[in-house]
Amino acid sequence: MLGSMMRQPVLTRDKADTLLLVVAALLVIAPHFAHLPLWTSATVCVTLFWRALLTLRGRRLPPVWLLLPIALLAMAGVWYSYRTLLGRDPGVAMLALLLAFKLLEMHARRDLFVVLFLSFFLLLTNFFYSQTMLTAFGMAITLVVLLTAQLTFQYTGAVPPLTRRVRMAGKIALLATPLAALLFIGFPRIQGPLWGLPGDARSARTGISDTMAPGSMTNLALSEEVAFRVRFLDPAPAQNRLYWRGVVLSNYDGRTWSRIGGTPFRTPDQTRDGLTMRLGGQAIRHEVTMEPSERRYLFTLELTRPDLALAGQRVATSDELETYTLRPLQQRVRYRATAHSEYTLQADLDPALTGKWLQLPPGFNPLTLELGARLRAAAAADRGGTLEIVHAVLQALRARRFEYTLEPALLGRDSVDEFLFRTRQGFCEHFAGSFVFLMRAAGVPARVVTGYQGGEFNPVDGYVTVRQSDAHAWAEVWIAGQGWRRIDPTAAVAPERVNGSLARALPQQAPFGFSGLIALQNDKDSWLSRLRFQFNAMNNAWNQWVLDYNPERQQTFLAELWDKVGTWRTPAAAALLGVLAWGWWRLRQARRADPVQAAYGRLCRQLADFGIVPVPGEGPHSLASRVRALPLPEERKAAYAEFLELYSALRYRALDDDERTRSAARLASLLR
Amino acid sequence: MARPALRKPERSAATVLTMRRVYVLPSRAGVAYTALLVLMLIGAINYTLGLGFALTFFAGSCAVVDMVLTVRNLAGLRLATGRAQPVYAGEEAQFELHLHNDGKADRCALRVGFHPPGTPWRTQPPHVVDVTAGASTAVVLSVPAVRRGWLAAPPVRLTTRFPLGLFGAWSNWQPDLRVLVYPFPERDAPPLPSRGDASAEGHGAVGLDNFAGIRSYQPGDPMRHLAWRQIARLHPQDGGQLVTKHFDGGAVAELLLDFAELPPRLDLEARLARMTRWVLEAEARALPYAFRLGHHHYPAALGDAHRAACLRALALYGDEVS
Repeated sequence: MLGSMMRQPVLTRDKADTLLLVVAALLVIAPHFAHLPLWTSATVCVTLFWRALLTLRGRRLPPVWLLLPIALLAMAGVWYSYRTLLGRDPGVAMLALLLAFKLLEMHARRDLFVVLFLSFFLLLTNFFYSQTMLTAFGMAITLVVLLTAQLTFQYTGAVPPLTRRVRMAGKIALLATPLAALLFIGFPRIQGPLWGLPGDARSARTGISDTMAPGSMTNLALSEEVAFRVRFLDPAPAQNRLYWRGVVLSNYDGRTWSRIGGTPFRTPDQTRDGLTMRLGGQAIRHEVTMEPSERRYLFTLELTRPDLALAGQRVATSDELETYTLRPLQQRVRYRATAHSEYTLQADLDPALTGKWLQLPPGFNPLTLELGARLRAAAAADRGGTLEIVHAVLQALRARRFEYTLEPALLGRDSVDEFLFRTRQGFCEHFAGSFVFLMRAAGVPARVVTGYQGGEFNPVDGYVTVRQSDAHAWAEVWIAGQGWRRIDPTAAVAPERVNGSLARALPQQAPFGFSGLIALQNDKDSWLSRLRFQFNAMNNAWNQWVLDYNPERQQTFLAELWDKVGTWRTPAAAALLGVLAWGWWRLRQARRADPVQAAYGRLCRQLADFGIVPVPGEGPHSLASRVRALPLPEERKAAYAEFLELYSALRYRALDDDERTRSAARLASLLR
Repeated sequence: MARPALRKPERSAATVLTMRRVYVLPSRAGVAYTALLVLMLIGAINYTLGLGFALTFFAGSCAVVDMVLTVRNLAGLRLATGRAQPVYAGEEAQFELHLHNDGKADRCALRVGFHPPGTPWRTQPPHVVDVTAGASTAVVLSVPAVRRGWLAAPPVRLTTRFPLGLFGAWSNWQPDLRVLVYPFPERDAPPLPSRGDASAEGHGAVGLDNFAGIRSYQPGDPMRHLAWRQIARLHPQDGGQLVTKHFDGGAVAELLLDFAELPPRLDLEARLARMTRWVLEAEARALPYAFRLGHHHYPAALGDAHRAACLRALALYGDEVS
């Protein structure tokens, strides 16, 4: 093949055009290789290679009787791979195969457009899988290649070199950008989906779930995935007060903590008998942009009144003050909430109703049960209250040299006993779970609250990014007269966890053996951190403005825009700009006009002062005779005569370019 | 009130296709593209794809840019008429048109063709030309010449789909250009009429007595009359051509082609056809001929000008006013 290429170094136009189309198709399909079945990717590659080979060798395209069975076979393959032909993934696979096969069945100009349009649609389907900035950049390049291909096929005569065609396509793209941006901002957005999404539209994601077993938080701690981003409209609280409340777990079966089943969801307008709260202190308004979680929990800063509103979703609150949506969150959502730094929650709850927060599975953790009983007895002897017990336990946790680690020793059946008395290694889930168990054993109503703690403040755009690795579990104990109080046993053991980031709280290994890199990673002022902050801010802006530009956001943005520009100044500025543009345009027209004719116009204006106006159809010669009769100084008359002589020569005689420019320059100088 | 370019275009020898004279409509591919955009928009809405919206709007904007560029590909083009040579009826009349591009951008893939009123566009494949920036291109369009007389150029239509093919722009122009169509020369016409007393010698020996100079070669001239010395002086590439020695005077009487002498039972057009054939034959044989048709009386002569005058008289016989 190399030999044949060597022999014909210059491709004919048809071949070059077709190869360009094959390259464009490859660019369109290539991002899909990541999720297409292997055989599909292979088939597409082989088909495209076959097409390129046929083109290079100048062979005929395969006949339909050969292509049709292959295409049918491929469709069967898609069905075999997915067990369906409907839905997103099989649809994409079929489109990719269709595009590849269509390239082998191109005969008319119409087929070219079919290929191009298929490519455009495949380009769109790519966004099902990825919508990052990098994807957008890749798509932009692919689009320019597609435009170049489309453009190339429109030439009928000589085709300019590829670079010029790419530049032309780039010019079209550039010209299209302002209008596209305007449409993007202003085109009325409709809240999707228009119909039910196919089941495979979203893939499962990691996140806080409604159960907590040993290891569930540890898994999350390893994920750098963003859970949500927060913008504070009021001064942000300190890092150690950033508790993002999510799910409340009250049931324990000896291994797994879970929600109380059957807790009804309530919408804010429904009466909530048990849920009384008093909020005080500083109000902290914040706006949360949550990534799609495929779950229903909304996270807010503790403690937020349950009155969230979400466009297109019903929001409910449970008796444990968890906030839910009625449908799983398949898209990024944005909501505003107001938290209060001080609160009392269900202070007047009837103690008789707290039984469900005292239950423990029988036959587990005898040592802890015994410790609980002792604590309870001691508190009763001291006449101390519930608070005494809590403090004593926290004290003990601090004193006993517990270790905060992501790799705790494995725990057996009596996991709390083993953790508290033997291994003493654990992650927040161990601390919170064991603490609640011990509290219940001591007769204190307690429950586990899971959510996130902390987050990373980005000095570039002021957003706080909360990642899956910030997932946290803490405890709530109920004290008569004071209501639910947040107790974070992890903070007692590893205060740096709540004061800083997880990375700082955990004992670290030096990456690549360079201990200096840790400092670089964690130091907020290092260039690496700054770079990361820049990138995160960019990513966030991308999410906020490109991916998540929904009807709500559009409305607010347009309203804000109108507030800013909707004054008398805007029309005034527009009018001024219009006048300037018009003037510039006129000036350009005038400059573009024939300089000879313009000089003649000037002469006519000068002669008009002496009462000489050329009659229609009057030539320069007759005009010259009239000028000769004027009572003017001789040199002036000579200048006019020469002008008219030159003008006549320029207009009516064939002159070469050199003479022409010289005469025109002389012409202009004569009128001074 | 009809918009200017939808009206019958005015006759002009030169014109500029202003923006107002250029019309644009989506091509079939453009309509399909619109459908594609709708599909993409629905997809973007349904799956709430932010980038899907961006891609859809961008693709739509590219189409709008394409529309503007397609119009601009035609708008501002300056058109002028060129030469048009007379033809014989039954031949193709050729009209030369000049396309001047005064702009800074190349104009590519322009289709130019005659678009006679009442016929569908695309009855004949139009010429496809490119006009680079600041340059001009000549196009020769042809129309079958059926009848003798003046043949005016039909309206010209220019179309283009450049650059992306999603829109078709077009404009019409009625060039002020006509060709003279000579009558069809009769096939198998009787020999040239001859009058006078030297007919016995036939016309082969006509005018061999006195050398009367040279004239350009015409098919039928005897080889021995070629003026080799003059021919040798200039190479054909430098403008040299075959020339023949020309003799006049002599025994043969003057050849007169008189329309009135033709048998009146013949059809008018048939008589004109015969006259045409005779003129051509006389020229071919270099026989000076006098010509008489209606009030046209041309004394005996030879040469392009004489022939043209005679043929013109024949072509316009009956409608002399034009």
